[in-house]
Amino acid sequence: MTLWNRIHSTLRPIVWRSQMESEMDAEMRFHIEALAEEFMRSGMPREKALRKARIEFGGVERIKEECRETRKFKFIEDLVYDLHFAARVLRKSPGFTGVAIVTVALGIGANTAIFSVLNAVLLRPLAVNSPSQLVYLQEQWQDIFPGLSVGNFNDVKTESTSFVQLCASHDGGFNLETQDVPERVDGEYVTANYFTTFGVQPIAGRVFTEEEDKPAHPRVAVISERLWRTRLGGESSVLGKPIRINGVATPIVGVMPKSFDPLLAKVDLWIPAAFTPAELADYDNHYLNVIGRLKPRVTLGKAQSELCVVAQRLAAAHPIDDKDRTFRLQPLTMALLGDQRLSLRMMLAAVGFLLLIVCANIANLQLARARTRQKEIALRAALGASPNRIVRQLLVENIVLGLAGGMLGVLFAFWGVGWINAHGPAEVPRLNESRIDTWTLLFAAGVALLSSFLFGLAPALRSGSTKLNEVFKSSSNTVAGGRERFRNFLVVAEVALALMLMVGAGLLIRSALLVSRVNPGFDASNVVVGRVGLAGPDYRDPQVARQTFERMVVAAAALPGVESAAAVSRAPLAGLGGTNGLLAEGKPLDPSNLVDARLQIVSPSYRSTARLQLKLGRDFTPADTRERILVAIVNETLAHTMWPSENPIGKRFACCESGPGGRMDPVWHEVVGVVGDVRAWGLDRQVRPEFYIPLLQMPPAAWDWVGRTMDLAVRIQGGAAPIRELRSVVASVAPGVPIYHLSTMQEKISGTLERANFDTFLLALFAGTALLLSSIGIYGVLSYIVAQRTRDIGIRMALGASRGQILGDVVGFGMGLAGLGLAVGIAGALVATRVLSSLLYGVRPTDILTFCAVSLLLLLVALAASYLPARRALQIDPVVALRYD
Amino acid sequence: MDKQLELLRGTLDMLILKGVSHGPPHGCGVLLRIQQISKDRLEIQQGSLYLALYRLEHQRWITSEWEESENKRKAKYYRLTAAGKRKLLTETEKWNRMADVIAGILHTTPGKV
Repeated sequence: MTLWNRIHSTLRPIVWRSQMESEMDAEMRFHIEALAEEFMRSGMPREKALRKARIEFGGVERIKEECRETRKFKFIEDLVYDLHFAARVLRKSPGFTGVAIVTVALGIGANTAIFSVLNAVLLRPLAVNSPSQLVYLQEQWQDIFPGLSVGNFNDVKTESTSFVQLCASHDGGFNLETQDVPERVDGEYVTANYFTTFGVQPIAGRVFTEEEDKPAHPRVAVISERLWRTRLGGESSVLGKPIRINGVATPIVGVMPKSFDPLLAKVDLWIPAAFTPAELADYDNHYLNVIGRLKPRVTLGKAQSELCVVAQRLAAAHPIDDKDRTFRLQPLTMALLGDQRLSLRMMLAAVGFLLLIVCANIANLQLARARTRQKEIALRAALGASPNRIVRQLLVENIVLGLAGGMLGVLFAFWGVGWINAHGPAEVPRLNESRIDTWTLLFAAGVALLSSFLFGLAPALRSGSTKLNEVFKSSSNTVAGGRERFRNFLVVAEVALALMLMVGAGLLIRSALLVSRVNPGFDASNVVVGRVGLAGPDYRDPQVARQTFERMVVAAAALPGVESAAAVSRAPLAGLGGTNGLLAEGKPLDPSNLVDARLQIVSPSYRSTARLQLKLGRDFTPADTRERILVAIVNETLAHTMWPSENPIGKRFACCESGPGGRMDPVWHEVVGVVGDVRAWGLDRQVRPEFYIPLLQMPPAAWDWVGRTMDLAVRIQGGAAPIRELRSVVASVAPGVPIYHLSTMQEKISGTLERANFDTFLLALFAGTALLLSSIGIYGVLSYIVAQRTRDIGIRMALGASRGQILGDVVGFGMGLAGLGLAVGIAGALVATRVLSSLLYGVRPTDILTFCAVSLLLLLVALAASYLPARRALQIDPVVALRYD
Repeated sequence: MDKQLELLRGTLDMLILKGVSHGPPHGCGVLLRIQQISKDRLEIQQGSLYLALYRLEHQRWITSEWEESENKRKAKYYRLTAAGKRKLLTETEKWNRMADVIAGILHTTPGKV
């Protein structure tokens, strides 16, 4: 009989209940009449025959009832009865029920909270049309994945046939002058088909036309709903009206809905990319985000292989720019959220472990209770309850427990999600969209049911097989060996799981401690940094832009309490910044000889303001102008990479611009100094090659690379950061230009660690809970054993066993369980913590110190948990114990 | 008439399958048929007949259908399914073997052991 048949014939009576009732009735009436006819055939009168038939048939109602039982009519009635009974039983032992519900709620709450984060960040589809068809296109060169050059983008767009739409965007910062205080807004330059690629309509106005995406067309803008509501009052009258963006009056043509954030970059403004002919011919600058929508039935692999062909043609056509360059195509969701997977999955695994520990604990409590309930259950069995019925009753009891815990757990999760929204790291995209919704509730209900079975099944099955005579025969000391072994197994499993969580948390804590002690490579105390972008026609002249920054530096340095001030294209931790390919003198010009290094343009006072360590050579001086030889300072990593085991001072490299002879005419920079490495990307990130060029020698084109945007760094003597003063310095030198991301260097450093510290905190919290729960598990089992063996212990004491022996036995047993769990847990942790390795800094996943410290902590807690029941064993009075029965 | 024998436990299902196998009878017919074949030597609880019928139907060894009886009344007729036929065969074979074994044991005289 197939499963479906079984389900069908079980469910049928419930669904068509009245029909089956009447059929049964008709069938039995027919039976009696047929029987009567049989009797009448032998000459009996009808009345008498009918009576005889009825008597022979027996009580119709009783038979029907029995039939209903066979046909599972009673399923629902039994369930309702079981629920009532379960509620009564649970109410009768409020202590157990309370502890169990709170423990289950902890487990389910943690799982639900983490799931709702996972759901918001990873699972919820992007708020665009059919996100699964969207792909993200990058170039691949050596081990880096830059954006596309405009030339490459344009060629891919015309040559490939895999995409319905292929659009491009690149980031831009915009100074917005809508109110008194200018505001810096993150925006994007986008191709006209950007919005249609994502298939999202504006809530007001329209998106760009192809005509507006041409360089000759006056600039227009599409803004976000957020910007529209907060800065422009949400009036539809703003459409068509100009606002001042980067010093240019720009009409707004459309407003995109709040949910439209396809690249998860919190962008508020879109401007047509309007590539110029010069840009379209540029294959050298790789910075475009390219998003495509695949045609139906075109797979990722098919599109990828087509792109390989395009890449080969591009490499042949533009050998300097595109040699060894290929394309990487990945689903958009993967490109945007791939980084979030590891730590979120780690969290989900952690709460999963926690839930298992919770289940083990409750199963243990239930098994202990099953002993005291043996007589009750045996009595019910004696009164005719089938084993199935008893198992079901106990399962229902556990499901009631699980669901009650689940409801409280959802409440916990509600608080947890609120807390995560308030304190979670800002860098995780969509984290603030976490909430308890239908999916989370379904998840919580599923987890509640699953855990009810996990912790309820074993005790229920054991009780269901209770043998009547055994229970009443033995007084109170039935020793069910199997049951005890199972409880011990549960404790060992709990300890092992707790240890794995603790090792994970321990590794992250140790890593966080090591990171906090990393030398950033500069003196981060008493430094205040803010970014300034000189946008608009007023600053198009590089000369003007440079002089404006120089004036700001001078004015900032003159502020009271300020030691020195400097300008730098990207202060440490202020974002990625661009890189350039460097060619050491003496090597042939070939892409494989280029060293990719981060360019830093600095005012002469920068090194002394940030207090970078000068390892070799000299610092820049105001005399390093473009009329003199071009100079550069490199970091130690770059020096080692380009000139291993040679003195880099006086060496030359080509980069950044080309001489009068065209692209193959190198412009040489002479290394005059070497500075110590700076952890510019974050304390826990690897240092990359980096080189510094003086502001006065900056190639004019570089102003476009940095978007005329620099960081103003100020070293103060101490005390409060001069935030207001710096704002007014910038406002006085460059009216209408905001200074943003203004904060102390210390704040920026802790900002980059926010994510790691948050993960560490959460995991430590889970591990702590796990430790607590598993110690309760040890305590519970030992208390049970001591209570059960009261008589044995009494006898042993009466026979002269010393208190030390008794203590040693009980504690030894507890420590034995803990030790076994420890061994299993260490083995598991050695395997499991490998996935952590990319989250760790300076610690190997098999770090001995962490393993030892965690094991010791666990053993100490286990010792305490064993000692309490052991002390109770010592207080047993032999006389009382022996009289006990 | 001899005193009626009480049915051995677990044999009712087998007897009903056998009763049904002789062409589709209704509930009462199954009972009458068994009693007729056994020459009224077996005592079968009428009620337990329906319990067994529903159980066998639930297990898909028999199926039922409402049809018109010989005296033009609706009655529920039972039929063996393929699984039911197999079940009857194996049960019969099992029973025969069991009966042989038991008879063998009971017929043993002390001298033979």
